[in-house]
Amino acid sequence: MTLSPEIILLSMVAAYILAKLFKISTELSMFFAALAGALAGGAGIPARHIAEGAFTYLDIILIFITATFFMNLLKESGGVAFVIRGILRKFHHSKILLFLLLTLILLIPGALTGAGSVTVLITGGMIAVVLGYMGLSRPRTAAIVFIIAGLSAAAPPVSLWAMLTAAGVNMPYVGFFLPLLIPCVLLSLLTIFILGWKGKRVDLDKALKELPEAPDKMNWLRVILPFVAFFFLIAAGRVWPHSLPIVGLPLMFVVSALLSLLLSPIRLSVFRIARDTIRQLLPLIGTLTCVGILVQIMTLTGVRGLIAVTVVTLPVFIVVATLALTLPVSEAVLMWGAAPVLGVPLVLLFNTIGLNPIVALAGMSVIWPLGDALPPTAIIGRLTKDTVHMEEPYREMLKHCLIPAVLIAVVGTLMVLFSKKLAFLTML
Amino acid sequence: MKDHAATLRKTAFSLLALVVLISAGLQFYRHRNLREPVVLGPGVTDVKNLSDYFDGISGTINDAHVYVLEGEEPGGAILVLGGSHPEEPAGRLAAWIFAENAVVQKGRLFLILSTNRSATTVTRLGGAYPTDYSIETNFGSRTFRMGDRWSNPLDQWPDPEIYIHYPSRQELAYIDIRNINRTWPGRPHGTLTEQTCFAMTELIKKEGIDIVIDLHEAELQYPVISTIVAHSKGQDLAAFSSMMISGMEGFNIGMENSPEALRGLSHREIGDHTDAISLLLEAPEPFLDATRGRTDRKLLLEGKDRFIVRAGKHGLLFEKIDENGWPIALRVGRHCSTLLQIFELWTEEKADRGLVVSGVPRYSDIVDRGVGAFLKNPATADPNRIVYE
Amino acid sequence: MITVMYYILAAAVAVLLMINFLRSKKWQDEILYLIVLLPFILRLLRLK
Repeated sequence: MTLSPEIILLSMVAAYILAKLFKISTELSMFFAALAGALAGGAGIPARHIAEGAFTYLDIILIFITATFFMNLLKESGGVAFVIRGILRKFHHSKILLFLLLTLILLIPGALTGAGSVTVLITGGMIAVVLGYMGLSRPRTAAIVFIIAGLSAAAPPVSLWAMLTAAGVNMPYVGFFLPLLIPCVLLSLLTIFILGWKGKRVDLDKALKELPEAPDKMNWLRVILPFVAFFFLIAAGRVWPHSLPIVGLPLMFVVSALLSLLLSPIRLSVFRIARDTIRQLLPLIGTLTCVGILVQIMTLTGVRGLIAVTVVTLPVFIVVATLALTLPVSEAVLMWGAAPVLGVPLVLLFNTIGLNPIVALAGMSVIWPLGDALPPTAIIGRLTKDTVHMEEPYREMLKHCLIPAVLIAVVGTLMVLFSKKLAFLTML
Repeated sequence: MKDHAATLRKTAFSLLALVVLISAGLQFYRHRNLREPVVLGPGVTDVKNLSDYFDGISGTINDAHVYVLEGEEPGGAILVLGGSHPEEPAGRLAAWIFAENAVVQKGRLFLILSTNRSATTVTRLGGAYPTDYSIETNFGSRTFRMGDRWSNPLDQWPDPEIYIHYPSRQELAYIDIRNINRTWPGRPHGTLTEQTCFAMTELIKKEGIDIVIDLHEAELQYPVISTIVAHSKGQDLAAFSSMMISGMEGFNIGMENSPEALRGLSHREIGDHTDAISLLLEAPEPFLDATRGRTDRKLLLEGKDRFIVRAGKHGLLFEKIDENGWPIALRVGRHCSTLLQIFELWTEEKADRGLVVSGVPRYSDIVDRGVGAFLKNPATADPNRIVYE
Repeated sequence: MITVMYYILAAAVAVLLMINFLRSKKWQDEILYLIVLLPFILRLLRLK
């Protein structure tokens, strides 16, 4: 006899709550929920499915590890302090100019790689320090970095939600540039100006006194070269995709890390930094691995299908009205896996009722990253909290995210609703 | 004392992890190394390899067998591709039935059963697929590898952050650089998946292939389903076949044009880059639907699922489904009959380039007797007439 | 060539995970290290 997916889902939720009551971490609670699901589903302890699920985010884990390792090397070599001092000296007199610059710096890494985590890891920490000197609290700073990092992931040229969903409905990834670019840039600027409005002009003398001194021999060349190498490799892969071998993001970060190691004015303990990097990232890479296992078991037992079919068979007006809820929640559980599971049926549904699938999907792609702050995974939210060294409880950051999140949700939903009128943006 | 307890704990955890590692590792190994026999039918006159057409693929997992069935009377040449997406088993099984049963009187038939062999050795992460499935026969059962849509990362790693198709430079999702139906026409110095397409493009050119037919299955919520997708060169042939099938074979199949903007697909690029007509057949496979319930061999082979039926009642599907599901015999039967109809119509129209085939069951035969009735027994076959995929 | 570098990278990460596992004092972290290690080992053994 096999239990129905409804009952299996209940037993998974029960196991998760029970584990949490026993003060077990979110990552392991998900793992135990997966085990409970497998047992309830009559699959026993399915070693193959556990291992296969654990593989789901292997490449993303490698990106996290190599990018964080690179940034840690840069920090220890004094490069980060050097850059922040430089930005403050040049732009301290104008808040508007500073905000525009910071938004641009935050948008680029995610837009190019499709990963908000790369934005947080590469530029989030530095931006947070600058915002801190404008008198913004850590949670407020974290909210700015998180929201713009999410928008950077949705921003063109690479928006994985749009790409994966488009692939699932046999639609070329064409015509998305403006429908993604315009909302992402506008919402990023709104976010930094709304949340940062209370920021004061930087007290340059105080800031320079407090900031750690960069080593004497540190200079712009030493800091910039590893980044130049990274962006060169990204650009080269796009300009000459068919003459160069595929490097992949993890190896690009390794190249940058090696360069920053070579260029460091002080001797760095590579082994210690590498070990600390892994320890620092354990909650995140653990979450990714356990989410992969959880999703595999949910699929195996039919729980994933139960959730997907329940969402897509709601009345259409409820589906549209609750996009701001269902998309972030699906992201929180499945991350990019949300695109094939929910994105595909939703876009087909919208297409059937006469909406423009490209603009509607772009609108959805803007909403999706909000889920990266929500439990159970909250992967980028937690990454941001760690990167900006926020000591306050996590919910403080969420409070500050509320206004921009509502704006994003409204803009995204309106894009879906009025996608037909906005179809000119696709230029097709 | 505390240290001792910690050591004990760590040892216990490590042993548990080792058990999972060994158990999972063995299953992965068995999956990748499961041997699938092909009992060469009376019509198979030669078994070549893709490396006979492009040396660069030699020694790789994707150096697939090319089964050649040559008739006594000269005629045209048709290539049938099974296993472009090995997670769509009906395509492979239909090609298998041809390899084990077909006899060619006129022209040449080329069959590839594992177009992306690498993708037959891996299952989709998060998809919870079974690693294999068995087809019942009157001598026991025949077991086949279940596969994925994408090449195995063990054979192609890493992926780029974005995949730029050659030669159109269209941008596609990074993962599709391992999707063989996004890497046509391929290139000699590309990735394994691109090289595989290049080898097949070379085959098409060197053998003077007239028509290439790529066998697929699709989820019911995918708009391109139960249809023949045709390059503009094959529009008439596809339209006539669709009409004939719907009238004669006992099932309906549509026809649609290959979209010009969608790059890398066989129905687009083969037609654009070679002299061949390119067609792609889609059969319904509920197993692939995102709303599917329990994922197991039963769903794969019977295609019954109450959640998908529910999605259908809400108008979310592009093919009908009821409690009878979409059994594998129906799906394989559709492919076999569609292939035969295309051959017959082509031969009527181009007598000098025709292909005349016999011995292959049609839709009604396979639905009546099951797929297994048309698979041969490797145990009693001449060992010299067995090839492994 | 680049693939080989990825195997070296995976091996390096696996070694670091193992070292951290051995030095860890918390049982929950220990389990998590092992879970994360699983795919790295299977990839290095070329099983998945």
